[in-house]
Amino acid sequence: MADKLDVKQGTLALMILRTLEVLGPLHGYGIARRIEETAKNRLTLNYGTLYPALLKLEQEGFISAEWRQSENNRRAKFYALTAAGRRQLARETREWHQIADLIGAFLAPKRETP
Amino acid sequence: MRYLRALLVRMAGIFTGHRADEDLREELQAHLDMATAENVRRGMPPEEARRQALLTAGGLTQAAEAVHDQRGLPWIEHIAADVRYALRTLRHSPAFTAIVVVTLALGIGANTAIFSVVRGVLLKPLPNREGDRLLYLRQSSDGPGQANISFSVPEVHDLRAGVPSLGGIAEYSPWNLTLQGDDGADRLDVGLVTGNYFEVMGLAPVLGRLTRPSDDGAGVPPVMILTHAFWMKRFGGDSSIVGKQVKLDGQSVTVIGVLQPAPFFPDRIDALLNMVVSPHHVSAMMVQNRSHRMTEVVARLASGASVAQARAEVAAVYDRMRRDYKDAYNPGSHYRIAVIPFKEALGERARLTLWLLMGAAAFVMIISAANVANLSLMRGVRREHELVVRAALGAGVARLRRLLLVENLLLTLLGAVLGVVIAIFGVRLLISLAARYSPRAGEIRLDGTVLGFTLALSVGLALLLSFIAALPQEDTFASWIAAGVRRMSGSLRKQRLQRGLVVAQVAVSVVLLAGAGLLTRTMVRLSEVDSGLRAEEVLALDVPLLQLSGGPSGGSDPMAWFRHLLEMDAVAKQQYERMRSEIRALPGVNEAGLGSSMPLATAMLSFEVKAEARPAPVGEAVPHAAIRTASPEYFRASGIPLLRGRAFTTTDQAGSGLVVIVNKTFVDQFFPGEDPIGKRIAWTGPLLKLSPISGDWRTIVGVTGDTRDGGLDAAPRATVFMPFTQMISIGGALVIRADSNAPGLVAAVTRVVHRVAPLAPIVSVLTLAQIKDQSVAPRRLNAALVSSFGILAVIIAAVGIAGVLAFSVSARTNEIGIRMSLGADRGRVQRMILKEGGTLLAIGLVLGVAGAWVAGGIIRGLLFGVAPHDPVTFIGVAALMAAIGVVACWIPALRAARIDPAISMRAV
Repeated sequence: MADKLDVKQGTLALMILRTLEVLGPLHGYGIARRIEETAKNRLTLNYGTLYPALLKLEQEGFISAEWRQSENNRRAKFYALTAAGRRQLARETREWHQIADLIGAFLAPKRETP
Repeated sequence: MRYLRALLVRMAGIFTGHRADEDLREELQAHLDMATAENVRRGMPPEEARRQALLTAGGLTQAAEAVHDQRGLPWIEHIAADVRYALRTLRHSPAFTAIVVVTLALGIGANTAIFSVVRGVLLKPLPNREGDRLLYLRQSSDGPGQANISFSVPEVHDLRAGVPSLGGIAEYSPWNLTLQGDDGADRLDVGLVTGNYFEVMGLAPVLGRLTRPSDDGAGVPPVMILTHAFWMKRFGGDSSIVGKQVKLDGQSVTVIGVLQPAPFFPDRIDALLNMVVSPHHVSAMMVQNRSHRMTEVVARLASGASVAQARAEVAAVYDRMRRDYKDAYNPGSHYRIAVIPFKEALGERARLTLWLLMGAAAFVMIISAANVANLSLMRGVRREHELVVRAALGAGVARLRRLLLVENLLLTLLGAVLGVVIAIFGVRLLISLAARYSPRAGEIRLDGTVLGFTLALSVGLALLLSFIAALPQEDTFASWIAAGVRRMSGSLRKQRLQRGLVVAQVAVSVVLLAGAGLLTRTMVRLSEVDSGLRAEEVLALDVPLLQLSGGPSGGSDPMAWFRHLLEMDAVAKQQYERMRSEIRALPGVNEAGLGSSMPLATAMLSFEVKAEARPAPVGEAVPHAAIRTASPEYFRASGIPLLRGRAFTTTDQAGSGLVVIVNKTFVDQFFPGEDPIGKRIAWTGPLLKLSPISGDWRTIVGVTGDTRDGGLDAAPRATVFMPFTQMISIGGALVIRADSNAPGLVAAVTRVVHRVAPLAPIVSVLTLAQIKDQSVAPRRLNAALVSSFGILAVIIAAVGIAGVLAFSVSARTNEIGIRMSLGADRGRVQRMILKEGGTLLAIGLVLGVAGAWVAGGIIRGLLFGVAPHDPVTFIGVAALMAAIGVVACWIPALRAARIDPAISMRAV
């Protein structure tokens, strides 16, 4: 089995924001499942990582939380993207693409110089 | 903004913890349930489904803790817990806490108080604009009283013309004026200044304006600027004073402004005026005569110029002056000039004393710190078991270190708070000391910088204390825990550190005690000095009647000014004689005399003097003598012994033959081994023709004993007394010998003075004992301060020795028990412990005496009548320290001897 990757805090925040943007308000379990599925089970995501990250985003005002009934009729805390969160997501996505391009350019296979 | 918001939310999170924890538990439970349900849907049995769900999601408790840390600010909570814990620990050992806090408070208090003085007097930047570019120029020559002879106006002109690196050179002439108010007269110390003075000094007015170059010279109206302190003291800070006229020496002078608070040098002053207020200062003789030196000089460095540059240029100009005007600079007198930063000049009298006190305070701090370190090392050993347990429960070394740091911080900060309280009282005492040495005493404050110093001191100390307590390495900890060790003490390294600290304490105590001893002996020696007169029950008043500044102004006719002075002098003399005879008639008065100045006070004037048929030796300093006048009764009233010849009589009148009485030093200098009676002397030198004193020959009719007029520590100066009636009253002092209780006469005497001369200021009323004491008092305070530091140090060191030995005894209880059961008797055990302490004591004593030897050399300048390496002091101090040290060793040694071998061995 391949090594599972640890999620870095900043990266996780971006994943959470993106998940909420795509799927709308969602509880912690749903977010975790979605992230793991998207990562094709290459990531481990335990409570100790996920919930502090959610709390941090909430403290920063990027997401809001409220208790609601879930689809199968049980009480769960649902997280939703705020306006600030939407802006933050756009900003971080842009930055992430820039960095990815940059790193990609650096790590590109060496070209023969004529 | 984001961070701020998050921070605020998290701070709130510290307090809403409980409810949020419930919330989180429910949320996590929901998560777990959903994961379990999912697993069941995939076909797992319920038990396995739940197990798998827990496995993938991680432990619930860890998650709860991680969220908890994110919610609040964990470090604040940890520190709060540490503080609570530390407070509890300290409360449980009140004796330890009290000793440590008091010790630290004394050390910190002494340092804070003295640092505030050092800062105010020596370190703080001057209030003057760019005060570090201000320079003070000083001219000196050889001979007594010639250390600061100031400058003449032509000399200042030469400096102005020839020293480009000095951007501005201002003149400042100390002077006295009498201010007539509605409620009596005040004698003011004033400075007569040139118009550029304030520009050069970089001072601004708080009210009104300052003088400018247009206020210079003759023929302008006299104006006055009040110093801030005098404005507050005399006019209660009344701003309406600006623009008003006041009467000074009979002239109307306009108050034009109030100056910002600022220090003056060489002496504090009450007001500053333009030169015109004193006809003498704008007269031709003052302005043109190179030898007529009565002006202090301050200068400001030109921009871009350095002090070294200024020194070189001043030296070059001065060389030229001495070449071109040989008669103004007698080569034998070694005329010289010094360029000193103004701030240094202000601090020069205080510097040595203050650094001495700062050093002593630092030593007390070192001893207290060493003691606290020792105490906490010992306590640390007792707490090792606790630390091991805490480590076993998962506290890392870093956490233990933080706990220690918090504890030490609490201790030092408590000490600092108490220390600042001590300092508040200490500073009041020290300001009065500093005022004797420095014009900047008014600037001493316990301000933010000083408190910052105190805080830095306490935090630094706490860090030091936390890091000398050696905590074990992480891995050795584990092995101890595994081995079930209850204590990890007895490490040789730690004991060596404790012993080193004791040795240092003893050594530093010896240095402090030696300093205290030297200063105390200095003070005793000084008070034993024979002042030269019988001081008991003698009252002296300084009542200057002659006002030197009034009269015809304008520099054109100096003789008119003299004539005016002589007229006023005749009136003054009559008033003096009436005061004297009325006071003589008061009940309880035994004798009353008149003189130019009070006995034991410095004479106001000194002149070059020559003896008949004895040409002055070439290549030596020109002989000067102090000028004093005396009525026939002066010597008897003052208790100055007449060694030869006669006192003045009432027949020594203005018109009769000129006679003088000289003191013993004068005879030794001019007529060594001869009978001076009948010999003739005369005043001489370039200044004579500027003064109302004649250069005629005067016959010596008597010789008095020497008196210590320049302070008890200054050698007597050659002095010539002239009859009060044969000399203009340059000053006026009444000396009154009482049958008993001289201070009781003050009221009656003051009444007489005010009746005879209602407008006369009484500058001072003192008994001769008080005058004498003024010269001892600063040294007494020095000695008292350093002695109290010394005593403090010895007490703390004794506690240190006793504590370390007691600790050593308790750590060696088993060993001692074994020794005793093997046949060692009590005496032997006692000797063993005494030897242990004695060795530390001996090493400390040797180091201390060596340190005291060095310290004695440094404070040489503060000593009088005692050698810096005075063997009596050193031996006495070493013996005292040894005695106290032995007593401190004895107590634990006795305890060791009382150990019961049976009990001690069972305790293993």
